[in-house]
Amino acid sequence: MEISYQPVEDNKRNKMSEPKSQTLETALNIASLDDAKAAEARRNGFFRYYLWFVPAILILFLVTLYPSIFVFWLSFQKTRYYELVGFIGLANFIEVFGSKAFWDTTFVSLTYVVGSLAGAMVIGMAAALVLNSAGITGSFLRVLILFPWTLSMSVVGSIWLWLLNPSFGPIPYLIKLAGMDPGLMLGDPDLALTLTILVTAWWSFPYVMVMATAAMQSIPNELYEAVEIDGGGAVIKFKYVTLPHILPSLGSTALTLSIMYLTLITLLIVMTGGGPLGATTTLSLEAFRGTVQAVNIGPTAVVSIVVLVINVAIGAVYTRLTGRVTG
Amino acid sequence: MSAAVSSGRTPNRLPAIAMSLVFAFIVLGPVVWALATSLKSEVEAVAIPPTLIPKVVTFQNYLKVFTDQSFVLDLWNSIAYSVGAVALSLVVGIPAGYAAARFSFNGKRVLMLTILATSMVPGVALLVPTYYLLDAVGLLNSGIVVTVILAARIIPQTVWFIANFVEAIPIEIEDSAFMDGASRSQIIRYLVLPLIKPGIAAVATIGIVTTWNDYITVAVFAPDLAKRTLQVALVNQVLDSVGISWSYMMAFVIVASMPIIIMFGFVQKWFVSGLTAGAVKG
Repeated sequence: MEISYQPVEDNKRNKMSEPKSQTLETALNIASLDDAKAAEARRNGFFRYYLWFVPAILILFLVTLYPSIFVFWLSFQKTRYYELVGFIGLANFIEVFGSKAFWDTTFVSLTYVVGSLAGAMVIGMAAALVLNSAGITGSFLRVLILFPWTLSMSVVGSIWLWLLNPSFGPIPYLIKLAGMDPGLMLGDPDLALTLTILVTAWWSFPYVMVMATAAMQSIPNELYEAVEIDGGGAVIKFKYVTLPHILPSLGSTALTLSIMYLTLITLLIVMTGGGPLGATTTLSLEAFRGTVQAVNIGPTAVVSIVVLVINVAIGAVYTRLTGRVTG
Repeated sequence: MSAAVSSGRTPNRLPAIAMSLVFAFIVLGPVVWALATSLKSEVEAVAIPPTLIPKVVTFQNYLKVFTDQSFVLDLWNSIAYSVGAVALSLVVGIPAGYAAARFSFNGKRVLMLTILATSMVPGVALLVPTYYLLDAVGLLNSGIVVTVILAARIIPQTVWFIANFVEAIPIEIEDSAFMDGASRSQIIRYLVLPLIKPGIAAVATIGIVTTWNDYITVAVFAPDLAKRTLQVALVNQVLDSVGISWSYMMAFVIVASMPIIIMFGFVQKWFVSGLTAGAVKG
């Protein structure tokens, strides 16, 4: 190895990456890595590291953090439309938590989230398993099946509003052909929530499928071979190899979807508008309606806080589970 | 190895293929039906019994969508908001993500956790306070404000993804450029950015889909007719559905989804990697 001039303080890594044919002159001009970094740090000053974050943090503060704090302040105010009349302490909270409508809405939210989640997880898992064992056809269809996930909620809602239209839609027509009475479909208070849950599951199961497939494909093939050598069949393989391996991934997917369902309102606005008779009014839809109608925004702030707190709590669990905190 | 084991390895794929086709039908059936309806006349769309294939294919619904008074403006707003929001999120997200990956300093963890925490605050919970504040300072119906709000929704994931992508680049590459006298901004522009291009494409794809599909933000903070997007125009038609024309509406649905459909066709790979990257332990 050709010997070139090295400053005494050069570290090993520096020597290794030094070009072999370096002349004395250039070697002297190039500061060592540590020198360069130290010079940059001196130039910038320690606090300048924060400057890299300033634009992002500024936007997030204005759009997200400040309104998050402000909504609490708003919830303590007596309001008339968008006018603040004065401080009233916890009166808004007492009014909201004391009303039956709030608990009905909470129950609808819970049913909607749990129902959609169950549907999407089961169908999504089934799709992942089936497509995974369908060879090249499976990989091709996987792309097509993911497609509705990219559609907007207004589009998904409009399409299903048409398909479920009691007079002209193809689905009530098929129900009639089968000799049953389709009734009012989305206009039926007993049926509206179930139908919106089914549509939500239809839209979101492809996401579960993609996440489950990604997790499945990371399982080493040797594990399946080991089961085969021991004479295990498909059920054993699924129970003892596939499921334990994809469980963490499924868990975080379920939490992501829960957050999404809890705040998903465009689909409801398009399909039912929260009706009939409040059968599909969720907490988030109530927060939206309170904002738009603006009769009295104090109680709306309380409902918003409930949505906020639940979401952040689920988000915190998600962060724990995926281990991002340690990053 | 026995014959039984090897036959178990290449199982009969036919049942799985048949089931896969059933899933594809469930998913694509409704979309195909919407497409078919959009090609029918208003009268044929509501004919009983309904048929999938239009007897007479007509493009009059699409013509009606394209020649609608506010269509061009709605389309322009949709493009401006989503492209603007994604561009803004990259401009502020790339420096933050790079710094998070490459510098170590006090308070970095708190900073990154704050950014992560903002991604958990749902937009729908901030409708009331944000509306109140925007109203107070007279910033309702502002296209720029809507763009910034949409950008804020995707900034957290942009920062975290970029940080992960940069971390995956061996630091030795940057170190050697550093020694050759390159400045930090040169390193980022000529070395780091080209290397993380696929990652940026994935984040941008997800960002465009998210912002293009938004209804709530625009509908609440910019309800003005001149500020609305295609999504808002679509929902408004559903809401004032007196004498609704289903074939026209399905044409609108297809047109409003067209950019996403085209993008999905071209960058489907990035889309999937963008989705799954979020689940990868960072």
